[in-house]
Amino acid sequence: MKVHDIVRSLRWLALVPALLFPLSARGQLTASGTINATLINRNGIALVFNSDPSGVSLGGGGSSAASLNFGTIAAYGTLSSGVTRTNVGTSSFTVQTFFDIEVTQGGLNSNSYTLSARLAAAAPTGLGYGVDGVTLTTTAQNIQTNGTYNTNVQHSLSLVVSTAAPGAGGPTVGSPLTTTLNFTATSN
Amino acid sequence: MRSSPIRTGSYASLVVTVALLAQGDLKAQSGTATTHLMITAELQSSISLVFNNSPSVGSPGFCPLSNAGTNNVGLDLGAASYTGGDTLSCVNWAQLTGNYYQVSSAFEVVVTAANTNSPSYQLAAEISTAPPANVIWLVNNTTLTNTGFTTLDAADSYGTPVTKTLQVQVRRGVAAQTLSETITFQATAN
Repeated sequence: MKVHDIVRSLRWLALVPALLFPLSARGQLTASGTINATLINRNGIALVFNSDPSGVSLGGGGSSAASLNFGTIAAYGTLSSGVTRTNVGTSSFTVQTFFDIEVTQGGLNSNSYTLSARLAAAAPTGLGYGVDGVTLTTTAQNIQTNGTYNTNVQHSLSLVVSTAAPGAGGPTVGSPLTTTLNFTATSN
Repeated sequence: MRSSPIRTGSYASLVVTVALLAQGDLKAQSGTATTHLMITAELQSSISLVFNNSPSVGSPGFCPLSNAGTNNVGLDLGAASYTGGDTLSCVNWAQLTGNYYQVSSAFEVVVTAANTNSPSYQLAAEISTAPPANVIWLVNNTTLTNTGFTTLDAADSYGTPVTKTLQVQVRRGVAAQTLSETITFQATAN
Protein backbone atom coordinates (compact mmCIF):
# COMPACT_ATOMS: atom_id res chain seq x y z
CA MET A 1 0.00 0.00 0.00
CA LYS A 2 1.32 3.35 -0.98
CA VAL A 3 1.75 6.15 1.50
CA HIS A 4 -0.98 8.30 -0.02
CA ASP A 5 -3.41 5.41 0.18
CA ILE A 6 -2.74 5.15 3.90
CA VAL A 7 -3.33 8.88 4.34
CA ARG A 8 -6.58 8.66 2.40
CA SER A 9 -7.79 5.89 4.70
CA LEU A 10 -6.89 7.84 7.83
CA ARG A 11 -8.80 10.83 6.49
CA TRP A 12 -12.11 8.96 6.65
CA LEU A 13 -11.40 7.79 10.18
CA ALA A 14 -11.95 11.40 11.25
CA LEU A 15 -15.62 11.03 10.43
CA VAL A 16 -16.13 7.86 12.44
CA PRO A 17 -17.11 9.50 15.76
CA ALA A 18 -19.83 11.52 14.13
CA LEU A 19 -21.20 8.51 12.36
CA LEU A 20 -21.13 6.22 15.33
CA PHE A 21 -22.40 8.66 17.95
CA PRO A 22 -25.21 10.84 16.69
CA LEU A 23 -26.53 13.55 19.02
CA SER A 24 -29.38 11.52 20.45
CA ALA A 25 -26.98 8.92 21.71
CA ARG A 26 -24.79 11.45 23.46
CA GLY A 27 -27.37 12.85 25.90
CA GLN A 28 -30.34 15.16 26.12
CA LEU A 29 -30.28 18.65 24.77
CA THR A 30 -30.43 20.96 27.74
CA ALA A 31 -29.81 24.52 28.81
CA SER A 32 -29.88 25.92 32.28
CA GLY A 33 -29.83 29.19 34.14
CA THR A 34 -29.75 30.29 37.74
CA ILE A 35 -31.51 32.90 39.80
CA ASN A 36 -29.84 34.03 42.99
CA ALA A 37 -32.74 35.17 45.15
CA THR A 38 -32.58 36.74 48.56
CA LEU A 39 -35.28 37.64 51.08
CA ILE A 40 -34.56 39.15 54.47
CA ASN A 41 -37.11 37.78 56.89
CA ARG A 42 -37.68 40.29 59.66
CA ASN A 43 -39.55 39.99 62.90
CA GLY A 44 -42.35 42.36 63.71
CA ILE A 45 -45.42 43.08 65.77
CA ALA A 46 -48.58 44.79 64.63
CA LEU A 47 -51.72 46.08 66.28
CA VAL A 48 -55.08 46.71 64.66
CA PHE A 49 -58.40 47.91 66.02
CA ASN A 50 -61.54 45.98 65.20
CA SER A 51 -65.17 46.67 65.96
CA ASP A 52 -66.56 44.67 68.81
CA PRO A 53 -70.03 43.16 68.44
CA SER A 54 -71.03 44.83 71.68
CA GLY A 55 -69.68 48.27 70.82
CA VAL A 56 -70.00 50.98 68.25
CA SER A 57 -68.76 50.37 64.76
CA LEU A 58 -65.26 51.73 64.29
CA GLY A 59 -64.20 53.90 61.43
CA GLY A 60 -61.13 52.41 59.82
CA GLY A 61 -61.63 49.11 61.58
CA GLY A 62 -58.96 46.56 60.77
CA SER A 63 -56.27 49.19 60.72
CA SER A 64 -53.93 50.71 63.24
CA ALA A 65 -55.53 54.14 62.89
CA ALA A 66 -59.20 53.79 63.65
CA SER A 67 -61.85 56.16 64.97
CA LEU A 68 -64.57 55.59 67.51
CA ASN A 69 -67.56 57.87 67.67
CA PHE A 70 -69.75 57.81 70.77
CA GLY A 71 -72.27 59.90 68.93
CA THR A 72 -74.35 62.35 70.90
CA ILE A 73 -74.07 61.74 74.61
CA ALA A 74 -75.92 63.18 77.57
CA ALA A 75 -76.58 62.33 81.15
CA TYR A 76 -80.11 61.52 80.21
CA GLY A 77 -81.78 60.48 77.03
CA THR A 78 -81.08 58.08 74.22
CA LEU A 79 -77.56 56.99 73.32
CA SER A 80 -76.21 55.53 70.12
CA SER A 81 -76.33 51.82 69.57
CA GLY A 82 -73.41 50.13 71.29
CA VAL A 83 -73.05 52.90 73.87
CA THR A 84 -74.21 52.41 77.42
CA ARG A 85 -74.42 54.78 80.35
CA THR A 86 -72.86 53.08 83.31
CA ASN A 87 -73.06 55.73 85.96
CA VAL A 88 -74.93 58.96 86.49
CA GLY A 89 -73.79 60.79 89.58
CA THR A 90 -74.16 64.21 90.98
CA SER A 91 -70.95 65.49 89.43
CA SER A 92 -70.44 63.27 86.41
CA PHE A 93 -71.84 60.52 84.27
CA THR A 94 -70.05 57.78 82.39
CA VAL A 95 -70.71 56.33 78.97
CA GLN A 96 -69.01 53.20 77.77
CA THR A 97 -68.50 51.15 74.64
CA PHE A 98 -66.33 48.27 73.54
CA PHE A 99 -63.71 47.80 70.89
CA ASP A 100 -61.31 45.00 70.01
CA ILE A 101 -57.56 44.98 69.61
CA GLU A 102 -55.77 42.28 67.67
CA VAL A 103 -52.02 42.00 67.96
CA THR A 104 -50.00 39.79 65.64
CA GLN A 105 -46.33 39.00 65.61
CA GLY A 106 -43.92 37.21 63.33
CA GLY A 107 -40.39 36.01 63.89
CA LEU A 108 -40.46 36.69 67.63
CA ASN A 109 -40.00 34.15 70.37
CA SER A 110 -42.92 35.58 72.29
CA ASN A 111 -46.16 34.09 73.51
CA SER A 112 -47.88 37.21 74.79
CA TYR A 113 -47.73 40.96 74.79
CA THR A 114 -48.22 43.91 77.08
CA LEU A 115 -50.67 46.57 76.02
CA SER A 116 -50.32 50.15 77.18
CA ALA A 117 -52.27 53.28 76.38
CA ARG A 118 -52.07 57.03 76.91
CA LEU A 119 -53.74 60.21 75.85
CA ALA A 120 -51.99 61.85 72.94
CA ALA A 121 -52.72 65.22 74.58
CA ALA A 122 -54.51 66.41 77.65
CA ALA A 123 -58.19 65.56 77.57
CA PRO A 124 -60.69 68.36 76.94
CA THR A 125 -61.96 70.07 80.03
CA GLY A 126 -64.53 68.06 81.89
CA LEU A 127 -63.77 64.75 80.17
CA GLY A 128 -61.89 61.74 81.41
CA TYR A 129 -61.01 58.59 79.47
CA GLY A 130 -60.47 55.10 80.71
CA VAL A 131 -59.68 51.74 79.14
CA ASP A 132 -60.56 48.58 81.03
CA GLY A 133 -60.95 50.64 84.17
CA VAL A 134 -57.57 52.34 83.89
CA THR A 135 -57.86 56.11 83.83
CA LEU A 136 -55.69 57.42 81.05
CA THR A 137 -53.23 60.28 81.23
CA THR A 138 -50.61 61.50 78.81
CA THR A 139 -48.22 58.99 80.37
CA ALA A 140 -48.49 55.44 79.07
CA GLN A 141 -50.05 52.96 81.46
CA ASN A 142 -50.36 49.23 81.17
CA ILE A 143 -53.80 48.01 80.22
CA GLN A 144 -52.98 44.34 79.84
CA THR A 145 -49.81 42.40 80.52
CA ASN A 146 -50.62 39.01 79.02
CA GLY A 147 -52.36 39.68 75.74
CA THR A 148 -52.85 36.76 73.39
CA TYR A 149 -51.64 37.13 69.82
CA ASN A 150 -53.79 36.67 66.75
CA THR A 151 -57.14 37.05 68.38
CA ASN A 152 -59.50 39.89 69.05
CA VAL A 153 -59.29 41.01 72.65
CA GLN A 154 -62.24 43.04 73.87
CA HIS A 155 -61.54 46.28 75.70
CA SER A 156 -63.91 48.76 77.23
CA LEU A 157 -63.62 52.46 76.65
CA SER A 158 -65.25 54.67 79.22
CA LEU A 159 -65.80 58.38 79.01
CA VAL A 160 -66.40 60.21 82.24
CA VAL A 161 -68.22 63.48 81.62
CA SER A 162 -68.50 66.24 84.14
CA THR A 163 -72.02 67.49 84.67
CA ALA A 164 -70.76 70.97 85.46
CA ALA A 165 -71.81 73.75 83.18
CA PRO A 166 -69.54 74.94 80.36
CA GLY A 167 -67.09 77.47 81.72
CA ALA A 168 -67.55 76.13 85.22
CA GLY A 169 -65.47 73.00 84.80
CA GLY A 170 -67.84 71.24 82.45
CA PRO A 171 -67.07 70.31 78.85
CA THR A 172 -68.14 72.29 75.83
CA VAL A 173 -71.69 71.54 74.77
CA GLY A 174 -72.96 71.19 71.24
CA SER A 175 -69.70 70.66 69.39
CA PRO A 176 -67.58 67.56 68.77
CA LEU A 177 -65.02 66.74 71.41
CA THR A 178 -62.12 64.80 69.98
CA THR A 179 -59.33 63.03 71.77
CA THR A 180 -56.65 60.71 70.45
CA LEU A 181 -55.59 57.65 72.41
CA ASN A 182 -52.28 55.95 71.61
CA PHE A 183 -51.95 52.21 72.20
CA THR A 184 -48.69 50.28 72.23
CA ALA A 185 -48.22 46.51 72.21
CA THR A 186 -44.86 45.21 73.40
CA SER A 187 -43.89 41.56 73.04
CA ASN A 188 -43.17 39.75 76.30
CA MET B 1 -22.11 35.00 32.52
CA ARG B 2 -23.36 36.68 29.40
CA SER B 3 -25.04 34.74 26.68
CA SER B 4 -24.47 35.04 23.00
CA PRO B 5 -25.69 33.11 20.01
CA ILE B 6 -22.66 30.91 20.32
CA ARG B 7 -22.12 30.80 24.05
CA THR B 8 -25.60 29.63 24.78
CA GLY B 9 -26.41 29.13 28.39
CA SER B 10 -24.22 26.70 30.16
CA TYR B 11 -24.23 24.25 27.31
CA ALA B 12 -21.63 24.20 24.67
CA SER B 13 -23.70 24.73 21.61
CA LEU B 14 -21.34 23.96 18.84
CA VAL B 15 -18.78 21.28 18.78
CA VAL B 16 -16.55 21.53 15.81
CA THR B 17 -14.24 18.86 14.81
CA VAL B 18 -11.78 19.94 12.24
CA ALA B 19 -9.70 17.45 10.53
CA LEU B 20 -6.81 18.89 8.75
CA LEU B 21 -5.42 16.33 6.47
CA ALA B 22 -2.98 16.95 3.75
CA GLN B 23 -4.06 15.20 0.67
CA GLY B 24 -2.23 14.98 -2.44
CA ASP B 25 0.49 13.42 -4.28
CA LEU B 26 3.43 13.07 -2.00
CA LYS B 27 5.62 12.57 -4.91
CA ALA B 28 7.14 15.81 -5.84
CA GLN B 29 6.74 16.68 -9.41
CA SER B 30 8.97 19.00 -11.21
CA GLY B 31 8.12 22.60 -10.32
CA THR B 32 4.69 22.02 -8.79
CA ALA B 33 3.22 20.69 -5.58
CA THR B 34 -0.55 20.26 -5.27
CA THR B 35 -2.21 19.79 -1.87
CA HIS B 36 -5.78 19.71 -0.66
CA LEU B 37 -7.11 20.65 2.77
CA MET B 38 -10.16 18.77 3.93
CA ILE B 39 -12.17 20.42 6.69
CA THR B 40 -14.86 18.57 8.62
CA ALA B 41 -17.22 20.21 11.07
CA GLU B 42 -19.84 18.57 13.19
CA LEU B 43 -22.79 20.81 13.98
CA GLN B 44 -24.63 20.05 17.14
CA SER B 45 -28.11 21.05 18.13
CA SER B 46 -28.26 23.50 21.00
CA ILE B 47 -30.68 25.40 23.16
CA SER B 48 -30.16 28.34 25.47
CA LEU B 49 -32.00 29.79 28.42
CA VAL B 50 -32.00 33.37 29.63
CA PHE B 51 -33.98 35.34 32.18
CA ASN B 52 -35.54 38.64 31.21
CA ASN B 53 -37.36 41.34 33.10
CA SER B 54 -41.10 41.40 32.62
CA PRO B 55 -42.51 44.29 30.59
CA SER B 56 -44.23 45.23 33.85
CA VAL B 57 -40.96 45.44 35.75
CA GLY B 58 -41.07 47.91 38.60
CA SER B 59 -44.77 47.55 39.26
CA PRO B 60 -45.99 45.43 42.16
CA GLY B 61 -45.14 41.80 41.56
CA PHE B 62 -42.38 42.47 39.05
CA CYS B 63 -39.02 43.23 40.59
CA PRO B 64 -36.03 43.93 38.36
CA LEU B 65 -33.48 41.20 37.79
CA SER B 66 -29.85 42.09 38.07
CA ASN B 67 -27.90 40.99 35.02
CA ALA B 68 -31.15 40.47 33.11
CA GLY B 69 -30.82 38.94 29.68
CA THR B 70 -28.39 36.32 30.85
CA ASN B 71 -28.66 32.88 32.38
CA ASN B 72 -27.29 34.00 35.74
CA VAL B 73 -29.35 36.71 37.35
CA GLY B 74 -30.08 38.09 40.78
CA LEU B 75 -33.42 38.83 42.38
CA ASP B 76 -33.70 40.98 45.48
CA LEU B 77 -36.95 40.40 47.34
CA GLY B 78 -36.24 43.01 49.99
CA ALA B 79 -36.96 42.66 53.68
CA ALA B 80 -40.32 41.42 54.82
CA SER B 81 -42.15 40.34 57.92
CA TYR B 82 -45.40 38.65 58.79
CA THR B 83 -46.79 41.86 60.20
CA GLY B 84 -45.22 44.62 58.19
CA GLY B 85 -45.20 43.80 54.49
CA ASP B 86 -42.10 44.20 52.35
CA THR B 87 -39.68 47.06 52.02
CA LEU B 88 -39.77 46.88 48.21
CA SER B 89 -42.83 48.13 46.39
CA CYS B 90 -42.11 45.80 43.48
CA VAL B 91 -42.66 42.77 45.70
CA ASN B 92 -46.09 41.29 46.09
CA TRP B 93 -46.67 40.64 49.78
CA ALA B 94 -49.63 38.86 51.29
CA GLN B 95 -50.65 37.05 54.43
CA LEU B 96 -51.80 33.52 53.76
CA THR B 97 -53.86 31.10 55.76
CA GLY B 98 -51.89 28.96 58.15
CA ASN B 99 -49.97 31.91 59.55
CA TYR B 100 -47.75 32.27 56.50
CA TYR B 101 -46.81 35.34 54.58
CA GLN B 102 -45.71 35.27 50.99
CA VAL B 103 -43.54 37.47 48.84
CA SER B 104 -43.46 36.98 45.10
CA SER B 105 -42.04 38.48 41.95
CA ALA B 106 -42.41 37.49 38.32
CA PHE B 107 -39.93 37.43 35.47
CA GLU B 108 -39.60 35.86 32.06
CA VAL B 109 -37.79 32.76 30.91
CA VAL B 110 -36.83 32.59 27.26
CA VAL B 111 -35.49 29.41 25.72
CA THR B 112 -34.24 29.44 22.18
CA ALA B 113 -33.17 26.59 19.99
CA ALA B 114 -30.87 26.20 17.03
CA ASN B 115 -30.29 23.38 14.63
CA THR B 116 -32.83 21.09 16.12
CA ASN B 117 -36.17 19.63 15.17
CA SER B 118 -37.29 19.70 18.75
CA PRO B 119 -40.82 21.12 18.79
CA SER B 120 -40.80 22.25 22.42
CA TYR B 121 -38.98 22.00 25.68
CA GLN B 122 -39.64 20.94 29.21
CA LEU B 123 -38.89 23.40 31.98
CA ALA B 124 -37.88 22.35 35.45
CA ALA B 125 -36.32 23.98 38.48
CA GLU B 126 -34.66 23.16 41.76
CA ILE B 127 -33.28 25.07 44.70
CA SER B 128 -29.72 24.84 45.88
CA THR B 129 -30.15 24.13 49.57
CA ALA B 130 -32.83 22.89 51.89
CA PRO B 131 -34.69 25.92 53.27
CA PRO B 132 -35.23 26.41 57.01
CA ALA B 133 -38.29 24.81 58.55
CA ASN B 134 -41.53 26.54 57.59
CA VAL B 135 -39.98 28.30 54.63
CA ILE B 136 -41.15 27.25 51.17
CA TRP B 137 -39.79 28.30 47.79
CA LEU B 138 -42.14 27.93 44.86
CA VAL B 139 -42.44 28.81 41.20
CA ASN B 140 -45.97 29.32 39.95
CA ASN B 141 -47.31 27.61 43.08
CA THR B 142 -45.13 24.54 42.56
CA THR B 143 -42.90 23.78 45.51
CA LEU B 144 -39.22 23.41 44.73
CA THR B 145 -36.79 21.09 46.47
CA ASN B 146 -33.05 20.64 46.57
CA THR B 147 -33.31 16.93 45.93
CA GLY B 148 -34.03 17.11 42.23
CA PHE B 149 -35.63 19.10 39.47
CA THR B 150 -39.33 19.70 39.67
CA THR B 151 -41.10 19.97 36.35
CA LEU B 152 -42.81 23.29 35.83
CA ASP B 153 -43.93 22.95 32.20
CA ALA B 154 -44.04 19.92 29.93
CA ALA B 155 -44.01 21.61 26.55
CA ASP B 156 -43.14 25.27 26.25
CA SER B 157 -42.49 26.95 22.93
CA TYR B 158 -39.05 28.10 21.92
CA GLY B 159 -38.50 31.79 21.62
CA THR B 160 -41.65 32.71 23.49
CA PRO B 161 -41.20 34.41 26.88
CA VAL B 162 -42.72 32.37 29.65
CA THR B 163 -43.67 34.31 32.74
CA LYS B 164 -42.68 32.63 35.97
CA THR B 165 -43.41 33.84 39.47
CA LEU B 166 -40.98 33.08 42.24
CA GLN B 167 -42.69 32.84 45.61
CA VAL B 168 -41.28 32.55 49.10
CA GLN B 169 -43.65 31.55 51.88
CA VAL B 170 -42.54 32.12 55.45
CA ARG B 171 -44.44 31.03 58.51
CA ARG B 172 -45.10 33.52 61.28
CA GLY B 173 -42.75 31.92 63.80
CA VAL B 174 -39.67 31.78 61.58
CA ALA B 175 -36.88 33.72 63.25
CA ALA B 176 -35.49 36.80 61.59
CA GLN B 177 -32.79 35.81 59.13
CA THR B 178 -31.67 36.16 55.55
CA LEU B 179 -33.19 33.56 53.25
CA SER B 180 -31.21 32.91 50.10
CA GLU B 181 -31.46 30.32 47.39
CA THR B 182 -29.93 29.73 44.02
CA ILE B 183 -32.73 28.46 41.85
CA THR B 184 -31.59 26.51 38.82
CA PHE B 185 -33.91 26.37 35.86
CA GLN B 186 -33.33 23.66 33.31
CA ALA B 187 -34.81 23.45 29.86
CA THR B 188 -34.76 20.06 28.19
CA ALA B 189 -35.64 19.67 24.54
CA ASN B 190 -38.58 17.41 23.80
